[in-house]
Amino acid sequence: MTYTWIEHTAELELELRAPDERGVFRAAVAAFAELLGDGSGEPLCHAISLAADDRGAQLVEFLEELVFLADTEGFVPERVAHIDLMTKHAVVKGHVGSPPPLVKAVTYHGLAFAQGADGWLARIVLDV
Amino acid sequence: MSELRRVDEAVWEIPRDARADMRVPARVFADEDLLQAIRRDRSLEQLQNVATLPGIVGAALAMPDIHQGYGFPVGGVAATELPDGVISPGGVGYDINCGVRLLAAPFSAGELGGRKEALVHELSRRIPAGAGRGGPPDLTEAALDRVLVEGPRALVELRGIGTEEDVELTESQGCLDGADPSAVSERARQRGQGQLGTAGSGNHFVEVQRVSRIFDTATAGAFGLREDQVTILIHSGSRGLGHQVCTDYVRRMDAAHHRYGIDLPDRQLACAPASSSEGQDYLRAMAAAANFAWSNRHAIAHRVREALRQVLDDEAARATRQVYDVAHNVAKPERHAGRDVLVHRKGATRAFPAGHSDVPDAYREVGQPVFIPGSMGTSSFVLAGETGSMERSFGTTCHGAGRLMSRTGARKHIGGAELRRELEAQGIVVRSASNKGLAEEAPFAYKDVERVVDVVARAGLARRVAQLVPIGVVKG
Repeated sequence: MTYTWIEHTAELELELRAPDERGVFRAAVAAFAELLGDGSGEPLCHAISLAADDRGAQLVEFLEELVFLADTEGFVPERVAHIDLMTKHAVVKGHVGSPPPLVKAVTYHGLAFAQGADGWLARIVLDV
Repeated sequence: MSELRRVDEAVWEIPRDARADMRVPARVFADEDLLQAIRRDRSLEQLQNVATLPGIVGAALAMPDIHQGYGFPVGGVAATELPDGVISPGGVGYDINCGVRLLAAPFSAGELGGRKEALVHELSRRIPAGAGRGGPPDLTEAALDRVLVEGPRALVELRGIGTEEDVELTESQGCLDGADPSAVSERARQRGQGQLGTAGSGNHFVEVQRVSRIFDTATAGAFGLREDQVTILIHSGSRGLGHQVCTDYVRRMDAAHHRYGIDLPDRQLACAPASSSEGQDYLRAMAAAANFAWSNRHAIAHRVREALRQVLDDEAARATRQVYDVAHNVAKPERHAGRDVLVHRKGATRAFPAGHSDVPDAYREVGQPVFIPGSMGTSSFVLAGETGSMERSFGTTCHGAGRLMSRTGARKHIGGAELRRELEAQGIVVRSASNKGLAEEAPFAYKDVERVVDVVARAGLARRVAQLVPIGVVKG
């Protein structure tokens, strides 16, 4: 499971690789942990429900929820504790902190979520 | 992009038949050097995608500060014919009505003298940037509803913040018609809570400047600008409230556009006919977010005056006059060439010429003021709208220098501390929430603003009025 930041003139583009679909979501949280990380604080868990029908839109929804929680509660995600893509439910562990307000939104631009020869690959652009 | 052909000295075109799905040509205002930079990223491909939107008329346009964005390129303009042409929330962007407001102080840089550093410090203390939330004016739910519906005029009436003259000298008088708080989600209200009067992060700033050159004495006089005068430029938007409004409606239109038979080359262009329920709801929510953004810059301007009162005196604060306030990210119904259209401006500025009824009385004879911020450490320009904008660009000009280099690329070239030293060696006082953020906005990460301004002047979209150089900056 890996994440890579891709060069983009104005925004942040993220490439996620994992052996399975759930791993893509775990890689996304790892990337957000790097972006929003601010040390440690009071531990906190958040349950996230997804509504979209396709995996790409579910990934957008999932990350939008992390942006919302960072903005309104100072939630800094650390890792996915549980994720079930059949029931569209996830639990993310993290802590309360002062995450930088870096990410305004998660876009659908160039959104990709597909299986390749080496596992699953997703690409997503964040508005910063 | 071999299809690109030159139309005249400042305009290039990708013809409509370059791609089967394009409904109109794509046109770029640029010179050869800027075009070379523009070709380095995917902005022209994004512009061609915009040219596929249902109902688009004329051409998909790019200003000379165009760069790659998401969905629309930044610096993109598209007019769709009403009532059934589409509205695309991504064509406005997440920071709805991100824009700039210019204040003109009643004193010169020489008169400010050694108090410059104290002023910049006081501005940074009073105007939260980065993660900061606002403090007063903290609003009740009912007061927030009034702000969403009425814009800054509500702050004048409810809290005595700013003046009626400030409101008059704001694009659309700081209030888009049709704003409806009920179209703004509870999540958007939560994200906007406590954010009025805050700069935010990214490329947002409050800059203290000196008028270094006047190009057009009569128009500068009408705008209340003179050589060596101190000005303050505020760049911010609708903060979390606007970000969430766009998020909510991109998602809704992503789910709905197939029902209207709309096929898109990029999901971020998600759209619906302006006449549809989705389109109407978005326009009501966008107007509310735009009014919130004008109120945010209005509240920041109030804090600027408070800082001037603290560092100088009451007269300096009272006599600091708002020149104008313009939106960069918005969609507005306008009439162009005999047609009613919805003009999407994504990182672009309205630039109406002299005589236009939407230009305030004070500027009716000279044209609407336009402000083009340069990158941190370089000049900004004051322009005035020209008749060419109505003929060629749906009354629009550029909004800034335009990014050239990615944020990580900028950080590889310079550290925040080093950049701070360089700017201070140029006499610019710097206050920044983060060294990392400072490095990402390094001047070399942007195009040459003088070249960008030269193109819009040669294209007849706007004319130069004054040049402003930075003497202090509070960076978001």
